[in-house]
Amino acid sequence: MSAGASPADMVSYQSHYAGAVSRFAAYAVDVVVVTVAFELVLAGTSYCVQIVTGHHVSWNRTGVVVAVLLAVWQFVYFAYSWAVGGRTPGMALMGVRVVRADGTTLDPLHAILRALVFPLNFLLAGLPFLVILVQRERRGVADLIAGSAVIYSWDARSARLRFLARQPEVAADGRPPDLAVPGPGSTG
Amino acid sequence: MADPAETLAQQATERAVDLLISAVDINEIIGLVELNAVLSRIDLNALLARADINALMTQVDINALLARLDLNALLARVDMNTLLDQVDVNDLVRRVDVEGLVRNTDLGAVIATSTGGVATEVLDVARSQAVGLDQLVNRWVRRLLRQEPGPDVPPALLRPQAAVTSAEAAS
Repeated sequence: MSAGASPADMVSYQSHYAGAVSRFAAYAVDVVVVTVAFELVLAGTSYCVQIVTGHHVSWNRTGVVVAVLLAVWQFVYFAYSWAVGGRTPGMALMGVRVVRADGTTLDPLHAILRALVFPLNFLLAGLPFLVILVQRERRGVADLIAGSAVIYSWDARSARLRFLARQPEVAADGRPPDLAVPGPGSTG
Repeated sequence: MADPAETLAQQATERAVDLLISAVDINEIIGLVELNAVLSRIDLNALLARADINALMTQVDINALLARLDLNALLARVDMNTLLDQVDVNDLVRRVDVEGLVRNTDLGAVIATSTGGVATEVLDVARSQAVGLDQLVNRWVRRLLRQEPGPDVPPALLRPQAAVTSAEAAS
């Protein structure tokens, strides 16, 4: 079933409000990055302590200390990423960016505020996250509180040119060029 | 045989005419003529309407004319900066069919070679699929909630032309 966006439409979505799928995918990538980095730091710390003191340190994953450390690490990760470039590594991968509600660059103060209220999205089994689906500008609870919005920011024009450049190679295979490489709108 | 008297008369007449012509100052006569008045009486349009320009042009040897033309000297007198100042380069670039260039020339192969890594391709496809799914979800939610389409772009990121259109639609 086609999602309706043809390859030629790809460019026209640049700077549009990003939808829930792109944002959730970006968040999923960030969760993986945050978790892997956190585990690496814990393992590294245990290793260093063991070398220095000779005692084996094991972290209680359900303990308060680890939970607090993880919360702080997540806050730093998101706040710093949004304050510096308006995007986390996951958002950069999915080509979305946080801006102020009017489209201007997100300042550090609003980035910190957004990172502080971001966990609200996951209260009540993630119900606030669904606000993104129904809000006209695709802004979630954290966006509404922090005065931010998320937009598509990937270089769609270059992607379009790359898509066109690849077409002759695919056509040589004997398949119709438009079907050979999935466009942004074709979802299977 | 010609009459000697007639021959003599003819010679005398020719001599008299020669003497008369040599005595006349042509420049003085031209000076007496009011050329502007003469020219004002000439209907140039009527004159040109009678002229067969095409026939005239066929007689002109354009190649010979161009051979005599010193293009370098002509170009040296052209102020290129003034000329370029009058050219809207941005408009010119906008009119270039870049997609056509990529599709129909070797530029496409260059781009494919230089930027067509597997990671780039995977990323393009993943992003494209996500955008497509976003649009699909948005459409269904709007349909279910009978929601009117909202703004697509934050105000500060509206392109000038789109901004004008939005303002006109709002007014």
